Amino acid sequence: MRSERAATGERDPFAGRIPISVITGFLGSGKTTLLKKLLRHPGMANAAVIVNEFGEEAIDHELLETSSERMALLDNGCLCCTVRTDLQETLRDILTKRTHGEVIQFDRVFVETTGLADPAPVVQTLASDSLLADRFRLDCVVTLVDAVNGLGQLDTLVEPLKQAAIADRLLVTKTDIASPEQVRALRARLAEINPQALLLEVVQGEVDPADLIDVGLTSRQEPGEKIKRWIGPLAAPTAAAAGFDEPLRHSQGITSFCLWFDRPLNWSSFETCMNVLTSLRGPDLLRVKGLLDVEGEPGPVVVQGVQHIFHPPARLQAWSDADKRSRLVFITRGIERDLVANLFRAVGALASTGAGE
Amino acid sequence: MSVSLDVGSQADRTLSLNMTLLSHHELDGFGGVGEGVAMQVARDGRRIMWLAHESAPKNFTAVDVSDPRAPKMVVQTDLPHAQMRSNSLEVSGDILAVAYQTKQWGVKPAGFELFDISTPEKPKSIVQFDASGPYSRGAHCLWFVDGETVHMACGAADFQPRDPKDDQIYRIIDVRNPTKPAELGRWWYPGTREGDSAPPPRRMPVFDSGYRVHNSNIYPARPDRAYIGYIDGGAVVLDIADKANPKLVANWRHSPPNTGFTHTVMPLFESNLLIVTDECTKDDGADWPKMTWVVDNRDETNPVPIATFPLPPVEVFAKRGGRFGSHNLHENPPVKCAHQSERIILATFFNGGVRAYDVANPYQPKEVAYFVPGAPKLSPKGSVQINDVYWDDRGVVFCVDRFAGGLYALEMKI
Repeated sequence: MRSERAATGERDPFAGRIPISVITGFLGSGKTTLLKKLLRHPGMANAAVIVNEFGEEAIDHELLETSSERMALLDNGCLCCTVRTDLQETLRDILTKRTHGEVIQFDRVFVETTGLADPAPVVQTLASDSLLADRFRLDCVVTLVDAVNGLGQLDTLVEPLKQAAIADRLLVTKTDIASPEQVRALRARLAEINPQALLLEVVQGEVDPADLIDVGLTSRQEPGEKIKRWIGPLAAPTAAAAGFDEPLRHSQGITSFCLWFDRPLNWSSFETCMNVLTSLRGPDLLRVKGLLDVEGEPGPVVVQGVQHIFHPPARLQAWSDADKRSRLVFITRGIERDLVANLFRAVGALASTGAGE
Repeated sequence: MSVSLDVGSQADRTLSLNMTLLSHHELDGFGGVGEGVAMQVARDGRRIMWLAHESAPKNFTAVDVSDPRAPKMVVQTDLPHAQMRSNSLEVSGDILAVAYQTKQWGVKPAGFELFDISTPEKPKSIVQFDASGPYSRGAHCLWFVDGETVHMACGAADFQPRDPKDDQIYRIIDVRNPTKPAELGRWWYPGTREGDSAPPPRRMPVFDSGYRVHNSNIYPARPDRAYIGYIDGGAVVLDIADKANPKLVANWRHSPPNTGFTHTVMPLFESNLLIVTDECTKDDGADWPKMTWVVDNRDETNPVPIATFPLPPVEVFAKRGGRFGSHNLHENPPVKCAHQSERIILATFFNGGVRAYDVANPYQPKEVAYFVPGAPKLSPKGSVQINDVYWDDRGVVFCVDRFAGGLYALEMKI
């Protein structure tokens, strides 16, 4: 008789959670237009969308049923609700109603932030509220940037910069009314700020839903291609070949880099390093993703965090190719790679023959 | 156009978390299934699901579930008359054992019947084990997983209960020669037989359902133990090393204050736990709470309850129609086509559907998936009443409705 443990080791840490996509972007960047179009796609009939308000030009033109000012059904069956006090409470509320059968059995959630919002706390909510973390997983952060005004906003404002830096998907909107030069310049800037995100151009909210869903890992047995896409281009083999000689990427104080480790990491050393980093520079760690070769683990261990909040580490079934070196990607506000690398060296996680020597 | 969204919990809606429907088979209009759900891998490799009907006129139905997305009915049989039901069955190799329970004492056939199902389309009767008698309704539930022994809740011609509700006792039948079943031993709750020296046990004050056996589970990991749900007698563990003389090891009683009807006692040997269910038998929450218990069995002479499986609120589900509360488990039957898990427990809750729990931390079992089909067509209760569940070694979850819905095949992603 085989037991569950013997058969599969443990439950899949990625499966069984409802994916949440955070849709962010500065005022007027086209979030509502995007959502309206997105929810029209057939695969989205069981989506729930959480918006900040049912506004003038907002999604409520499509409303079919409204029970209160807080919750409504769209005419395609989607659930739509507004955040009254905080997102945490709203998510708990719709989860409870789902359990009771009082709302649709939504299978994904889109959270639209306000234009001025810092998306980091939204992401942190999902990792730090244990009830929510149990039922939901962050699938991706989608940031919209308006091609006409985006560059100027990035130059002068804090929020759009952080929104762009933290994204998994960067959607350049309003390319139909911007000049090709504006679009080119914005794309170049965004690629500097966040070389990790996939850049897409979007007109009138027309987007292939496949580009925006299942961005995060959904199974411990994900195929290699999916894992590569998830960890991002900074950890691509070409970057690996370049190692530490690769130039750092800087833009407006945003620094992104990847650390490679030739030898298996000792988990407690790794934890110590990350604890030091998060306690000293937490607010400046905008996004961290890692695929780690940890001593004693047959497959890679996935770590991901935003600022000082890290999701619980999770084991993948197996390495997808021969390169089993640990890779740890950082998007930071002004934290230099050498500082992080030196910290790992100091704690002893980087062996003398390790990367960067 | 403003319609109220405050719909409450509507029983026609399907509720699901991490389980998706692969297929639904209504069994040609006879979708009432009891608690006999077993799988056979036929000689030609087909996977056949054998289902005992909850009540007359049908006896059992076999469905080819080789492709769980396209189930095909293979055979459906009738009972000899309507004063009986089958309700329970088990498959061991190519032998099917079906329990027969009559509505009244003295009626036949009462006991069980063995069938040769080497050709699933043509089940051939091997033998009828006659357990009829002046005080017997025959067998309600049986366990047959090793091809050698039938363990069952059954009356006997020579067993006269003091209380008519106490008529089904634990009986062990040797079927190694399937044409000549022979009783190996029996056990009944002390004080329930006419003439017992022990005093009669205390009846349940609210719902007196009786001191009789429901499930008796025996596993190769502990062939000398029988784990028995003894209805109002609670959970009973017997030492059956000497089958002619079973001895009591433990009796965990938790009713009253609860309302009895202990149904299944499933041991988890690696984690030293028992999962114990109390069957809900009343509609609209009248006998609430009917829980599924996690019991610490490190000292098998002193089982200690440590948790119950969390359920959605009774205020909501009691109003969905019919019963809401615990009933059956996927019992990790030690057969090759059943999934085995010490960690994920699948349980059925009538209108609460089928639910999966993670007991990695046994003090805090966690619900990780559920599927509550919308009310089946012609459901007399206006809701689904999921009765039993089977988890096969491919990972497919099958559950059945008690009245009308038939068989649901589900994919679970946890």
